[in-house]
Amino acid sequence: MLKSWRCCLSLFLLGVLGPGVVSAGHSFENTAIVRTVELGGSLVHVTTTYAVKALEDGSRLYTLALADSEHEKTSWLEAKIKGEAAVLSLEEFGYSPDGGAYLYTVELPNALKANGTANLVVETVQTHVTYPWPDQAAQSDGQSLKYETDLLVLSPYHTAVQRTKIRSPLPQIHSYTTLDDFDDFTTESPVTKSGATITYGPYYNIPPSSNKDFIAEKQKHVIVHYAYDNPMLEVLSLKRTAEISHWGANLNIEDKVHLQNSGAKLKGHFSRLEHQSSQYYGRPSPQMLPALTLHLPAGIHSAYFYDLVGNVSTSHLRVAPSVPKGVQSNLNSVMELRPRYPLMGGWNYSFTLGWDSPLRDYAGWDKQTGKYIVGVPLMTIINGAVVNDAEIKIILPEGATDIDYSPPFPSLHSNLSTHVTYLDTIGRPAITLHYKDLTYNHAGTIYVTYKAPFSTLLRKPMAVAAAFISLFLVGFAAKRVDIRIK
Amino acid sequence: MLLLAVLAACLLPLCLASSDSDYAKLKQLAAAGNGLIKLDEHSYNILTAPNRNWSATVQFTALDNKRRCTPCRDFDPSFNTVAKAWSTVPAPERDSHFFGTLDFDNGMATFQKLGIQSAPIVRIFPATDGPRRPASGVTTPISYDLTYGYEPGPLAEQLSKYTPVPIPYKAPFDWGRVGTFAAAALVLVTTLRFISPVLRSRWTWAIGTVLTCLVMTSGHMFVRIRGMPMSGPNGQWIAPGFQNQFGQEVQVVAMMYGLLALAFFMLTTVIPYQTSPQRQRVQVYLWSFVIFIMFSVLVSCFRVKNRGYPFRLFL
Amino acid sequence: MAVAYSLPSDVSPATVTNTRSLLRIIALALISGAAIASRLFAVINFESIIHEFDPWFNYRATRVLASEGFYEFWNWFDPTAWYPLGRVVGGTIYPGLMATSGVIYNVLHALHLPVDIRNICVLLAPGFSALTAWSTYMFTKEMKDESAGLLAAAFIGIVPGYISRSVAGSYDNEAIAIFLLMFTFFCWIKALKTGSALFGTLAALFYFYMVAAWGGYAFITNMIPLHSLALILMGRYSSRLYVAYSSWYAIGTLASMQVPFVGFQPVRTSEHMAALGVFGLLQIVAFAELVRTHVSSKQFQSLLYASVIGMGILGAGAIIGLTYKGWIAPWTGRFYSLWDTGYAKIHIPIIASVSEHQPTAWPSFFMDLHSLVFLFPAGVVMCFRQLRDEHVFVIIYAVVASYFAGVMVRLMLTLTPVVCVAAAIAFSSLLDTYIEPTEPDVADDSSGKIAETAPAVDAASSGSSTAVSASSSTAKKTKKAPTAPPSVSAVAAAMTPSKKGEKPRGIFGLDTRFIVLLNAVGMLLFFVLHCTWVTSTAYSSPSVVLASQNPDGSQHIIDDFREAYYWLRQNTPENSVVMSWWDYGYQIAGMADRATLVDNNTWNNTHIATVGKAMSSSEEVAYPILRKHDVDYVLIIFGGLLGYSGDDINKFLWMVRIAQGVWPDEIQEPNYFTPKGEYKVDDMASPTMKNSLMYKMSYYRFPELFGTSQAIDRVRGQQIPKAGTTLDYLDEAFTSENWIVRIYQVKKEDILGRDLKSANAFAQGKKRKRTKPPVRRKATV
Repeated sequence: MLKSWRCCLSLFLLGVLGPGVVSAGHSFENTAIVRTVELGGSLVHVTTTYAVKALEDGSRLYTLALADSEHEKTSWLEAKIKGEAAVLSLEEFGYSPDGGAYLYTVELPNALKANGTANLVVETVQTHVTYPWPDQAAQSDGQSLKYETDLLVLSPYHTAVQRTKIRSPLPQIHSYTTLDDFDDFTTESPVTKSGATITYGPYYNIPPSSNKDFIAEKQKHVIVHYAYDNPMLEVLSLKRTAEISHWGANLNIEDKVHLQNSGAKLKGHFSRLEHQSSQYYGRPSPQMLPALTLHLPAGIHSAYFYDLVGNVSTSHLRVAPSVPKGVQSNLNSVMELRPRYPLMGGWNYSFTLGWDSPLRDYAGWDKQTGKYIVGVPLMTIINGAVVNDAEIKIILPEGATDIDYSPPFPSLHSNLSTHVTYLDTIGRPAITLHYKDLTYNHAGTIYVTYKAPFSTLLRKPMAVAAAFISLFLVGFAAKRVDIRIK
Repeated sequence: MLLLAVLAACLLPLCLASSDSDYAKLKQLAAAGNGLIKLDEHSYNILTAPNRNWSATVQFTALDNKRRCTPCRDFDPSFNTVAKAWSTVPAPERDSHFFGTLDFDNGMATFQKLGIQSAPIVRIFPATDGPRRPASGVTTPISYDLTYGYEPGPLAEQLSKYTPVPIPYKAPFDWGRVGTFAAAALVLVTTLRFISPVLRSRWTWAIGTVLTCLVMTSGHMFVRIRGMPMSGPNGQWIAPGFQNQFGQEVQVVAMMYGLLALAFFMLTTVIPYQTSPQRQRVQVYLWSFVIFIMFSVLVSCFRVKNRGYPFRLFL
Repeated sequence: MAVAYSLPSDVSPATVTNTRSLLRIIALALISGAAIASRLFAVINFESIIHEFDPWFNYRATRVLASEGFYEFWNWFDPTAWYPLGRVVGGTIYPGLMATSGVIYNVLHALHLPVDIRNICVLLAPGFSALTAWSTYMFTKEMKDESAGLLAAAFIGIVPGYISRSVAGSYDNEAIAIFLLMFTFFCWIKALKTGSALFGTLAALFYFYMVAAWGGYAFITNMIPLHSLALILMGRYSSRLYVAYSSWYAIGTLASMQVPFVGFQPVRTSEHMAALGVFGLLQIVAFAELVRTHVSSKQFQSLLYASVIGMGILGAGAIIGLTYKGWIAPWTGRFYSLWDTGYAKIHIPIIASVSEHQPTAWPSFFMDLHSLVFLFPAGVVMCFRQLRDEHVFVIIYAVVASYFAGVMVRLMLTLTPVVCVAAAIAFSSLLDTYIEPTEPDVADDSSGKIAETAPAVDAASSGSSTAVSASSSTAKKTKKAPTAPPSVSAVAAAMTPSKKGEKPRGIFGLDTRFIVLLNAVGMLLFFVLHCTWVTSTAYSSPSVVLASQNPDGSQHIIDDFREAYYWLRQNTPENSVVMSWWDYGYQIAGMADRATLVDNNTWNNTHIATVGKAMSSSEEVAYPILRKHDVDYVLIIFGGLLGYSGDDINKFLWMVRIAQGVWPDEIQEPNYFTPKGEYKVDDMASPTMKNSLMYKMSYYRFPELFGTSQAIDRVRGQQIPKAGTTLDYLDEAFTSENWIVRIYQVKKEDILGRDLKSANAFAQGKKRKRTKPPVRRKATV
């Protein structure tokens, strides 16, 4: 509701109000747009470079457009100036009915003069855009995926020239849309293939395209069918629980993962014989996942890996020494875990992975506010996997007050609850965040700040002591009361 | 077509005739050997003719001493008694089921034909036509499972499944046992007055109790139930394997246990009554030594049974 | 008088008693610690996991109890077991175990100690073993004294015979049953000695707990009446006996009838008739006693006795008559097979097929009891010396239990406690005799001296108090002195410890004491070593997980069972039905969470025989059976690759036998042997064997694994024919890493209505050209 209202307002502004704003709609021109699509398994990385030219002075807000289908598949969007690290601030305007697209405005670092240019790099990660084709594969044959996208990058501005490069991981591209009947915007052949790359375009002077009729008439749909010989992984659900304990000076993180090999389903049945022979000949079946390699934080200890029927003995952990906080280092403890059985196409495997790590690597104490600050890693990357549905629960020490937290990016919804565990009297406050479609870009840190006065530390021993004392008192009394019948 | 019919017509009485004559012969044979037919090649072929409206139980055995088949000779009597019991049922049922014995020396060819390598074997041949043809239509010979034991009781019980009427086998009443039992009881009653002090003495009971415990804890029941021999072939008295033992081991092990227990008993309750220090000292050392030696012997025996056992004493 | 070694004599009696009680508490605490610790090998070597087969069902039921609450559990109908029949769990189990851990679970959670239910189940047995040690201490204390009690507690704490059924993770009824057994017996003895109805009632309550916990309660139900009967026959009837027995029987029987699984058996079955009969007899005897006290005419008394005996015989006759009338059910098969040992083999092959129902050879006695096995008779004899009522109990218990233990391996469990008790009595009286510092002198001395030095002695060795009590008690009765050669007279004196001046004189010199004690202590040390070794090697492996050695000596875990079960759980439809031999039913239900046809509670012989028939007959015959029972997957265990001997081919003959029991004219055991009568799986195997479903599933594509070389079955040590078996009605669905578990999917009927054999042949003809590369076996383990 709110969103729709906001987008109405924005259009209202764009359309009707003062000339400045109106011109903001038309104050740019794309001298060139190059879109590069890195095909992958369940994740597809798209980089779009806009060479922008300002048409008048002081124009600062550049508007991006994402087509409807593209928007819902996109789980990550980030804009930068080419060659700079700084991430530009984005504002979402939501869906514009007459534009037929989702609009974002990027605020350029500094306003451009007339004919001033800037190179804008927009990176997006798309999930659930590829699907196995054929959707069944026997144990020994390979796996191929299909990727569908729109041909032209939508933009509210006039575009001089634009290209779309689609790069496949392997040179085997079975088929791709050749666009034989497509002859506007271009003179020479609309598409060329060289090695693992397919190039659509260049296409010349395209009118502002983020409007319904253009999409209806001019927009084209392209499909690429390519070979992909890695397992295509999906984490159907990830439940992470991070428990902060001041007593043990310990941060315990536990992930409940439901993993699925969402690649081509196994045709027929699994034959251990063929599996072992293919292992022996060193050509394992492409869509099979034999083992996972995870990069856990440095300095962790007592890691555990079990599933519903107990400990999985086939996991190895190489622990890197603990890294004091603040120090930048890319040390990682490497966890190698083998599921109980090789994960063929369409098979599931759910497991629980947890570890302890010293709290000092994650927590700090802010003097002037008198608050603790703890940075909890949001997720552990499973290579090439998308996390469909994530629930992160952070359990603070018992009696923590004025709690405040800042996730790296907004969550779908979040709530505060109470979690009662070992020898708690009033229970511990817990923060729960929900996310969808997480990818490797989302592996950020959630910062939690809270007050935990020293008295809360004493609560537990007090409770235990009181219990025992009362026990002894009862025993004392019972010993001295004579209940015999005289 | 017609030709066929004619052929059949002229064949039919012939085979009928043959079967009839065979049937009569069988009856007469059975009557002769009171219920049991001593088979040879020819009579065997008659008995197990492809189109028979009778059923038969045949025991394949080798009774001749030179065959050295002890189980055969153990099993033969019970088979005969069952056959005899069958001969007492009224004629119509009796003559629809026959008992036969084929000895190896009378029917080598048959044994080879059937590929029988071990004896004794009991096979039941159901009727292949006539009213008693099994409903399931399975007329292949059924072998009797000798794991039921060699006694006539279970044999009759199992075979009764295939006979027109249950075999009227009754275990013979064991007069001898009853007689001895009665005699013993009588003796007991008469001498009760004299032996009552023995019965009343706690130590009679003590000895009985201890002996029971010793025998039981040294695997007597195992030998009983499994019917283990007294000692193995080539005279070895320790059976190989952890869950296995011979009859002789029971005695030896029980003896060792008993000696050790006795030593403890002496040390604890007898020696303190000793009046002279020297004799007492000698006895103490003696019994301690006995304990030590017997225990090490026991452990070494156990090492023989359980190869992986890491500990040992003295020897 | 002479003293072998001197003791501090300036210690006040109060200090002595306090120190003793303190030492006793510490000793008990240490014993409990040892008992628990020695059972944790399984957890340390492997992990905190439920063992073997039955525990998996108990664990599953406990999970239901913990999550759904007691009433849900009470009327829980489990549709996935014994598919399609289902099983009324609440009415067909002894709920004591689950209830116990459920209570513990709820208490802990009420205290905000969220312990996982699995860990509670795994650690229940060790916890209760500590309680067992304590109750054994109490029991033995009634027999002799505290020092014997402590020894007994220490023995039962670590003796393998009890550990074998109570290591961490073996979550079975026996885990708590032995504690209940010992404590009930303790209460009984206490009630008998004091004649208090309170202890009688306590005994009844714990008897009820026992009934709710273990089917072996019948042992108590017959032990206590036997004891009472023996006492009556020995002319030791007393009002104490009357009170104790009546209170125990009345309350205990009524309470036990509250358990649904038991119901009206206490009045309807023969196992319980002994208790009823003795109860009646006691009433008669009590009445007779009453009359006798009032009437004092000799003839009348003799008449009375005659009538009493007559009534007793009448009662017995009545019970027998009722049995024949059928009002009272005769003995159940399992119970009957204890007496007639050949019975089970012929009539109930399922019972005979269980390995723990086999008779016991002497090595396993020695393995489980070690040196206690010969201390045991010595202890029993000592019970005869001063034959008090409770000693009669131990003696009867000893005889009965040693017989049962000889008949069935699993009943070693009931023998172990009495062995520990008797051995402790023997051992502690040895220690008493040789630690006692007073030396006799040739001149006769009065027992007064010993008596006064006694407390000091106790301070040092909390043990020799009996030497005193025995001597003082024996000093009471007096008879004439014997005139026999010394050694003989000594023996005679030992036998009847009631002759004047023949009270135990004691031991001369230090060296004698030293040698005996050295011997004894050495034996104890050896016992500890033995127990530790046996526990760690023999009794601590959860047969779910197999352990082997890597080339570098490190432990390599073979986890095929869980691999396959978890595959079933994660990658098959929720409602699919799995057929396997009954041994694996509970594990499949527990770990794979799928419906099974048969499982380890073998109540329906026909159903099991059906599975046996399907396994042992040819594909064409088996397929309709499978389809009729909606079987989706068939699971078998195959050890041929790894040499795992407990696999289905080795159990196959039992399947055949059980199937033969129901379909004698379709399945015949001899057909599965070679003409020579051997059990073979190589190309000599009989055609029936080769066509059986079990054989085909076991060796399906097995020879290909060896490529060109000859395929060897590592268990049977036989060569498997290269021409591999073919399956037309089943598909190989999954095979675990070491081929131990193989799962096959049952094909649906052919769409075109052809029978699957021809359909398969057609399809094969299509893709003949596809050739597999020669396969060499990947190095496993």
